[in-house]
Amino acid sequence: MLKHLELLVALQDLDVMITDIDEVKQIGFKVGGKEKLKEARSQLAEKLSKPLLYNYENLRKRYKRAIIPVKDDICLGCFMRIPTSLITRGRSDQDVINCEGCGRVLYWYD
Amino acid sequence: MQIVWGNKKHTKEGKDIKMETKDLLDYFSEDLFISQMKASTKDASLDELASLFVKSKIIRKKSIVLEMLQKRETLGSTGIGKGVAIPHGRTTAAMDVKIAFGKSEQGMDFDSIDNKPVNLVFMVLAPPHDENNRYLPILGKLVEVLSGVKNRNKLKKVETFDEFIQVFNGVD
Repeated sequence: MLKHLELLVALQDLDVMITDIDEVKQIGFKVGGKEKLKEARSQLAEKLSKPLLYNYENLRKRYKRAIIPVKDDICLGCFMRIPTSLITRGRSDQDVINCEGCGRVLYWYD
Repeated sequence: MQIVWGNKKHTKEGKDIKMETKDLLDYFSEDLFISQMKASTKDASLDELASLFVKSKIIRKKSIVLEMLQKRETLGSTGIGKGVAIPHGRTTAAMDVKIAFGKSEQGMDFDSIDNKPVNLVFMVLAPPHDENNRYLPILGKLVEVLSGVKNRNKLKKVETFDEFIQVFNGVD
């Protein structure tokens, strides 16, 4: 079963897929309607707690990506160094952690 | 369903992005290359190639990538016919655009548009937003290169990464 952070990442990936679908179709791939994807998105969103989903949707309105990578413990959205106290929690993927600088959800690559 | 082979022009904010075949070389690497895939099914092949990304430390969580790829396959198979499949997607789990390649001698059922088994699998992973907007041009160029029967036949014979690279170097 996917954890909260993984669900959020899956949601962002789906949102990107919905955006890309027409262009991917143009290249020549067989792609079904957006409706199917939107349905999958709704099902995924239902698995998230309301506060998490609300936070994600709000961040999406403000930024291109609601979930932003962390590299070398630096948020690649606002380039703020992540406090040491959050790093261990963040790396474990147990909690959803928002950047103290820009507010975006953090995803550790390394 | 008819497939349109070829590279379409992609525009983003009014800019045309041109991709040459040799530009694809930047996205391949030896640790993302398998000359003999073990997988004999679509799901197993996605898993096998996604594992290469994890092993190469390009992605950390395979489950996230597989979730995205499987969602993509439910929209329509990325088996584009003529023995070729290009599973692809943008994922938050990917730091940069990369392409993995796997060859299957026996071929596998990929639910392709021509219902023929797939021997050549190219997995393209990209981050959600790429400043240079390379993802779609890469996909388009890949489809274009693989539309050539000579290129496909050469790729079916490659055993080493060097041979693989030579095929892309030799494309006009």
